Amino acid sequence: MWKGINTALLGRHGYNRQIGLRKASRARLFKEYKEVQREKVADPDIQLTCDDNNIFKWTALIKGPSETPFEGGVFQLAFAVPEQYPLQPPQVRFLTKIFHPNVHFKTGEICLDILKNAWSPAWTLQSVCRAIIALMAHPEPDSPLNCDSGNLLRSGDIRGYQSMARMYTRLAAMPKKG
Amino acid sequence: MEDFLSDDDYYDSGRDSLDGLENEDSGPQWVPSKGPTCKVITKESLLAAQREDLRRVMELLSLREHHARTLLIHHRWDVEKLFAVLVEKGKACLFKEAGVSIVEHRDLDAPPPPTVMCDICIEDVPSGETTKMECGHCFCNSCWTEHFIVKINDGQSKRIKCMAHKCNAICDESVVRNLVSKTNPDLAEKFDRFLLESYIEDNKRVKWCPSTPHCGNAIRIEDDQFCEVECSCGSQFCFSCSSEAHSPCSCLMWELWVKKCRDESETVNWITVHTKSCPKCHKPVEKNGGCNLVSCICGQAFCWLCGGATGRDHTWSSIAGHSCGRYKADREKKAERAKRDLYRYMHYHNRYKAHTDSFKLESKLKGTIQEKVSILEEKESKLRDFSWVNNGLNRLFRSRRVLSYSYPFAFYMFGDELFKDEMTNEEREIKQNLFEDQQQQLEANVEKLSKFLEAPFNQYDVDKVMETRMQVINLSGITDTLCQKMYECIENDLLGPLQLGIHNIAPYRSKGIERASELSVCWGDKVNNSGKPLPPHCGSTADPLLMLGGTTESDQPSGSGSSDETGYAPRKRAKTNVPGGGRFDLNLPADVVDRN
Ligand SMILES: [Zn+2]
Ligand SMILES: [Zn+2]
Ligand SMILES: [Zn+2]
Ligand SMILES: [Zn+2]
Ligand SMILES: [Zn+2]
Ligand SMILES: [Zn+2]
Ligand SMILES: [Zn+2]
Repeated sequence: MWKGINTALLGRHGYNRQIGLRKASRARLFKEYKEVQREKVADPDIQLTCDDNNIFKWTALIKGPSETPFEGGVFQLAFAVPEQYPLQPPQVRFLTKIFHPNVHFKTGEICLDILKNAWSPAWTLQSVCRAIIALMAHPEPDSPLNCDSGNLLRSGDIRGYQSMARMYTRLAAMPKKG
Repeated sequence: MEDFLSDDDYYDSGRDSLDGLENEDSGPQWVPSKGPTCKVITKESLLAAQREDLRRVMELLSLREHHARTLLIHHRWDVEKLFAVLVEKGKACLFKEAGVSIVEHRDLDAPPPPTVMCDICIEDVPSGETTKMECGHCFCNSCWTEHFIVKINDGQSKRIKCMAHKCNAICDESVVRNLVSKTNPDLAEKFDRFLLESYIEDNKRVKWCPSTPHCGNAIRIEDDQFCEVECSCGSQFCFSCSSEAHSPCSCLMWELWVKKCRDESETVNWITVHTKSCPKCHKPVEKNGGCNLVSCICGQAFCWLCGGATGRDHTWSSIAGHSCGRYKADREKKAERAKRDLYRYMHYHNRYKAHTDSFKLESKLKGTIQEKVSILEEKESKLRDFSWVNNGLNRLFRSRRVLSYSYPFAFYMFGDELFKDEMTNEEREIKQNLFEDQQQQLEANVEKLSKFLEAPFNQYDVDKVMETRMQVINLSGITDTLCQKMYECIENDLLGPLQLGIHNIAPYRSKGIERASELSVCWGDKVNNSGKPLPPHCGSTADPLLMLGGTTESDQPSGSGSSDETGYAPRKRAKTNVPGGGRFDLNLPADVVDRN
């Protein structure tokens, strides 16, 4: 009795809140959309676009940061935004193949704390893109999703890591030259 | 340990003279070394129980209550550890790690702007509809509220962080409460309860009483986690694993045993190994002997291995008219093994159950024995003290328990499952002999004690009653000592220091499982009388928490809501007074106590 009596009561409020949240996240996403249009020139490394039919689906093209093996590449990200956004983080993954210790080589899943427990509602899709660019420049080999890549870095084989990463950047993230 | 020794000494000297034993009946049983060590925490006293810890932290660090709570939750209510961190790393670090912001952001000098841009909904909001948290971050109330709701529903009430980037600050609980209760009062209540119950959930010294239906209490122990306790609702449990009190069986062994008893697969295995249905009439047929050709009562012969019908002529390895591709010698071995394992299990289980069952029967006997005593009390003028009957009975219950749980212990101690590679066969045999010797001695004396108590001693003449009395007193002493010795044998000779880390066993308590005493609560007053004026904030946050106890107690007929303000927990049950004066403080099964 004492523990958890309120589950039934919660359910009663649940439905309306869901609609409310959806509305709030829509409004916020719409604001972000407008902001993105304005910032396009300010941040040429990020190009965020919203799906024409679904404001909860976004894609982004980000430029590989300079002085990294990803330089010169353009990487595509897919965003799936939950209804509780921005109280809960969007799901983001790489659509472009990338050789990076914190990105799953097959699925493109990203291991980044702000997309999990360190998420704050003050983040935006744009700032998430910036955080991902920062991650590309500063990999965290100790929590690898790509073990090969993580092991190269951890064993100190920076050169091996860079050449692999550069190869995949050339193969997957650069426009094919005719 | 000291207690055990003194008890031992006691019985050694007491066995010589009857007077010595009589003293046992009337005099103080033992000198408790540290006083009662476990406490019952009821929903009424839950707040008061944490008051002491809160007060210590509040006073030492001159903090508000909610900051103290945040620190304590972060350090799992371990005040000593919290103070150690304070000494080691300093106040700033202690606060930062736990997410406490003590910097007050007072912008009172500058009038607030009429509107503030909320970074979450990216909306311009009138200042009055925003809240600035202690860390200095300001967002609109509806964003805060939604954030709190998501976190509370996620079960994160105890650590709701600020919404800003990389801000580790824990949100002020009164802000959470106020904002959430405006739209969702039920959830605000849930939030309060989560905060209060953190004291139980996140505290290695406190555990919920495992009774079902739940009595609503929790038990707090002072030092040793490996002990057995009795809640004020009467349920006795192992503090370490929250299942029924099971010593001298270790928690790990008990868990395996319970699973094994629940899991009937062993029996099912046996049936599938030992019977097969006849291909003709489909009756189950049991195999006897090593031969694989079996015949059903209907006359049909069939092959045991594949179940196929056969003719009758056969040799050991082949059956006429049938070529079986499935014969494997190890199949036979497996069957043998399954049978052996099952018999072994049944051996231990039968004895375990026999003692549990007689324990239950003897509980019922308690009533009839009481009657015998009252008959004697009327009849005999010379014999007035019959406390030996109760004492003997209680000793019987206690010893039966020990005996009963010693069988699952032995099952695992001398079986293959846990200790196969821990000792050689010879070692195992020596240990098993040693243990079984003790077990049998205990068993024999327990049965004797039981026999004397069951005897119609109310019809005896004075001399024979005296004789019975002496026997009962004597056997009580012997069984107590034997129980004690069995625990010692397990600890010293069987498990050894290495295994004791894995197989923790609550120590034997001659007097029975410790009954948790109700928390005597006066800290609520102490906080207010401590001389320090408390910040007004404290009173206001404490109130809704206090009220909580009063609002959910419709199932409590004893109406204790009024006592909440003083923080005194009412003594709900008087049943701790067992007939016989309760001096001989052995644990009785709950149902007996209830009936009394
Ligand atoms: Zn807002
Ligand atoms: Zn903050
Ligand atoms: Zn209880
Ligand atoms: Zn246990
Ligand atoms: Zn048949
Ligand atoms: Zn045969
Ligand atoms: Zn066959």
